[in-house]
Amino acid sequence: MTTVDLQDYSRLFSSYTELRVQENRSVRVGFVKGNNTVNTRSTTGGVSARVYKNGSWGFASTPELQKDAIESVIKAATDNAEFLGSRREHSKGPLPVVAASHDSSFATNKPRLTQKQLVDFIKEIDDHIATRYPNLQSRTVFLNCLDMEKSVITSDGSRFTSMTPRSHIYITLCVEKDGEPVDLYQVYGGLGQFEDVFESPSVLFPGIEEQYEHLMRKREGVYADAGVRTCVLDAELAGILAHEAIGHTTEADIVLGGSVAKQLLGKEVASPLITLVDFANTALGQTCPVPVYVDDEGTKAEDAVIIDKGILKSFMHSKESASHFNVAPTGNARAYQFSDEPLIRMRNTAILPGTSKLEDMIASIDDGYYLIRSNNGEADSTSEFMFGIELGYEIKNGKLGRAIKNTTISGVAYNVLKTVSMVSDEMHWSGAGMCGKKQPIPVGMGGPAVKCQVSIGGR
Amino acid sequence: MRHDVEKDVRIAKRSLEALMKAGADKAQTNLSISEKHEMNIEAGEINLLRTTFNTSLHLGVIKDSRNGHIGISSSDEASIEKAVSDVMDIAAGAHPDEAHDIAERQEPAEFCKGPLEPDLDAMYDRLKSFVATVGQRYPTINLRQVILSFTRSNNYVMNSNGVDFKTFKGIYHFVAMFSASEDDKVSSLNGTGVSMLDLDRELIDCGSVDMLLKQSVEQTATRPIEGKFVGDVIVTPDAFGSIWGFLFGSLTDGPVVSDTSIYKDKVGELVAGPQLTLHCRPVADEIADGYFVTSDGYAAQNSTLIERGVLKGLLLGIYGSRKTGRARAVNQGGAIVVEPGNQSLSDLVRSVERGILLCRLSGGAPNSYGDFSGVAKNSYLIEDGEIKYPISESMISCNLAEAYKNITGISRERVDFGSSIIPWIALSGVTISGK
Repeated sequence: MTTVDLQDYSRLFSSYTELRVQENRSVRVGFVKGNNTVNTRSTTGGVSARVYKNGSWGFASTPELQKDAIESVIKAATDNAEFLGSRREHSKGPLPVVAASHDSSFATNKPRLTQKQLVDFIKEIDDHIATRYPNLQSRTVFLNCLDMEKSVITSDGSRFTSMTPRSHIYITLCVEKDGEPVDLYQVYGGLGQFEDVFESPSVLFPGIEEQYEHLMRKREGVYADAGVRTCVLDAELAGILAHEAIGHTTEADIVLGGSVAKQLLGKEVASPLITLVDFANTALGQTCPVPVYVDDEGTKAEDAVIIDKGILKSFMHSKESASHFNVAPTGNARAYQFSDEPLIRMRNTAILPGTSKLEDMIASIDDGYYLIRSNNGEADSTSEFMFGIELGYEIKNGKLGRAIKNTTISGVAYNVLKTVSMVSDEMHWSGAGMCGKKQPIPVGMGGPAVKCQVSIGGR
Repeated sequence: MRHDVEKDVRIAKRSLEALMKAGADKAQTNLSISEKHEMNIEAGEINLLRTTFNTSLHLGVIKDSRNGHIGISSSDEASIEKAVSDVMDIAAGAHPDEAHDIAERQEPAEFCKGPLEPDLDAMYDRLKSFVATVGQRYPTINLRQVILSFTRSNNYVMNSNGVDFKTFKGIYHFVAMFSASEDDKVSSLNGTGVSMLDLDRELIDCGSVDMLLKQSVEQTATRPIEGKFVGDVIVTPDAFGSIWGFLFGSLTDGPVVSDTSIYKDKVGELVAGPQLTLHCRPVADEIADGYFVTSDGYAAQNSTLIERGVLKGLLLGIYGSRKTGRARAVNQGGAIVVEPGNQSLSDLVRSVERGILLCRLSGGAPNSYGDFSGVAKNSYLIEDGEIKYPISESMISCNLAEAYKNITGISRERVDFGSSIIPWIALSGVTISGK
C-alpha cells in the first residue's frame, strides 16, 4: 500500500475527524471440473474522511492519494456534516474522547508465490480429487485470498496501522444419486497470507478424504423428520448461532433500531452454561481469526462480554452508541472498503467451551440429530434465526445413524439457548465468514458443541 | 465528478493498446468512473451524508488460450503500466482453455439513462417527509436503516475486436429496513428497496414500501402455525427472488459447466406452470435500473426467458456457451418482468383453502436438485380464503423445481421495483410446518 503521512493533514480537521487510507487486495483462482475458469487479482484502495459535527456525520472518499485529493476529501466530508448539521433541529453532544496507538501486521515473511505457482497449487488439488475419486459427477476448487491494509488517524490523537490477511480454499464435491446431484462443500484455511496458511496441497488431502466420506454417506441421506428436536449443534453451528442469532441483536445500532435485546439487558436469556463473548483479538490465549486491536474510529478494541453465565450483560458499541448508552466504546466500529464508513460490527464472536465430551452429548440423545455444517445463516432483530444445514446425521439410541439431506434449522435464539443442557469442552474457530450489514466484512465465529432443542425442517 | 469523457476514453484506449503491445492475443478493458451521494437515516434520524468517488479499471487478456484478469481502482499511467504487466503474468500462469474468448465486433454505441446530477435538497426533503409520514401513519415503526442514494456512473467497454461501448447513467436508490415494536413485542426486521430515475413521488409511495410498513405494524403479535400440512403459498413480489433465484442461478455458466444444473438440457421444455411468462428486459424503458452492456462486452438485448411455462434459453456467457456448445444468452439475466395474471390479489387469497402469504423467506441454500426449506418471515396464515394472522416460527419446504410447475394463479397487480416488475404468484403443494 502507498505510504501516506496522514499526520500532515490533521491541521485541516475542524471538528471530530477520522482520516483513513486503506487498500484491499484479493486473489482468486478457480477450477470447475478441471477447467481453470477464474484467474484474477484485484486491488481497491484510496482515502476517506469522516467528520462529526453536532450529531451529524459527513463522509467522503476518493481512490486518489495525491495531496490535493486528500485535502478535498477532508473538506467534502466536513461540508457534508455541515449540510446535515445546518438542517438539524436538535444538536447532539460530543463523542467520547479516546486515544490509542497500535501497529499490527500478519504479512508473511516468506517469499510470495507467483500467480502461476498459486494456479498450479490449486490445480494439484483438483487433479488429486479427479484421480482419487473418479465416481464424482463434478468438483470445484476455489482459492480466495484477501489482504486488508489500513492506516488511520483521528482528531482525538489515535493512530494505527494494520495488515490483516486471510486465505481460504473452498472445495465442493458432487456425486450423482438416481440422476440427482448431491454435493458437499468444505472450507480450508484461515488468518494469514497464502504462504503461511497452506504449506502444500497434500496437507489438505486428509480433510478432503473426510469430506468425501461424509459425501458418500450424504448420498444415501434421508430427509430429516420435521419438528422440534433435540440436537447437538457442532462447533461451527454454535459459532453461527452466537454471531447471527445473538450477536446481531446486541449490536448497539440494532438495539437502537428496536432489537429484542433492548428489553433483556440484565435478564436471564440463556442457560447458565452459556457465556458468549465478542473477542477483540485474542481468545483463550490464541490469536482470533479476525484480530482487531484498534477499531476504525481509533478506539482500543476490548472484548465485549455479551452473555455471562446466561445473563445478558452488555452490547457492542461505536463511539456514538456508547455516548447514547453512557458506556465506554468497545472498539467494534469497522469499515470494509476505503469508501465505507465504520459500522458496529462483530469481530470474533464465540460461545465459551464447557465441560462435556462430544461423545457423551451424542450418547445422551435417544432420538435427535447431530448437525455439523451450515451453508448459510440469517437472523433478525427478534433473534429468530434460520441456518441451512449442509451436513448432519441422525442420532438414534445414543449413536450416530444415517446422514440427512440438506435441511434448515430455526428457532428463537433467546429461547433455544435456554434449552442448552450440555456444552462440549472443545473450541473450534471459523474465519471464513463474511458478514453482511450494508457492507460485507470478515468475521470470526467460534464455539464448542452445544446440546439444545431446535426446529428442523424436513419433508 | 470528473466528467471528462475524452480523457476517460483515452485511458481505456491506452490500456487496451498497452495490453496488445504487451503480447495479448485478445484483450478487453472496462473502465468505470462513478460518484455516489448517499443520505442515511439511522434509528429514525438523518445522520450521515456520504460522497464517494470511485474508479474501477478492469483488464482482461487471453494469451495462448490462457485467461487472466486484473482490477485496480486507479487510472494513472504508472498504475496502468503495472497492471498491464501484472495481468500478462497472471494469464501466463493460467491453464489453457480454448473456450475463453471476447465479444466479437459490434457497432460502437453510446447509451444514456437518468439524470446527470443529484438534487441533494430534494433528497433531503423526501427523506424528511418519509420520516414524518411514517411517524404519523405508523407510530410503532422503528426505522432501523434507511438509505437514499444517487449514483452517477460513466462506463467504457472496449476490446481488441473493436467493441466500443460508452454508458452514462444516473439513478436513485432507496432502501428501507424497519421493524415495529409495541409493549415488549418486536416484529421481525422487514425491508425493501426501489430504484428510480427521479424523485417525483414520495418515498413511501414507491415499490412496496407502504405495504410492508403496514404489515410490520401488524406483525408484533405473531403466532406459530400449529402442526404440519401441505398447502398453498402466495409468493409476494418481495419474496420472488428467494423462491425463483434457484432457477435463474441454475441457468448460468457455473452450474452448467460443472454439470450440476438440472436445467441444462431443459430448453424447450415446461419448467413452470403455463400461466408464467417471464422476461429479462435490461434495456426496456419500463426498467429504470437495467444495463446496456454485458460483462462479456455485448450490447444487451431484451429476451423472454420463460414463455407460458416453457424455458426458452439458458443464461450463458461466452465461456459457458463455448464450453458446452449451447447458445449464448443475449443478456446476463436480471431486469425481470413477469407478465401479470388474470386474477386480482384478493381473488388469489380467496382461492387458498389453507396456506400462507409468503412475504419474506429466510431460507437455506437449495441443493442442486432444488430441495429446500426455510423460515417464512413477516408472513401470514391463510385459511378458507382469508388472511388470518401473522405467523412466526413456521417453516416451508418443497422441491423448487416441482413447485415452479404447480402455479395456481398470478395476480394482475404488480410491484415496480425499478430493477424488476413482479406480481404475486401462488404455488401449491408446499409443506408448511409450525410447532
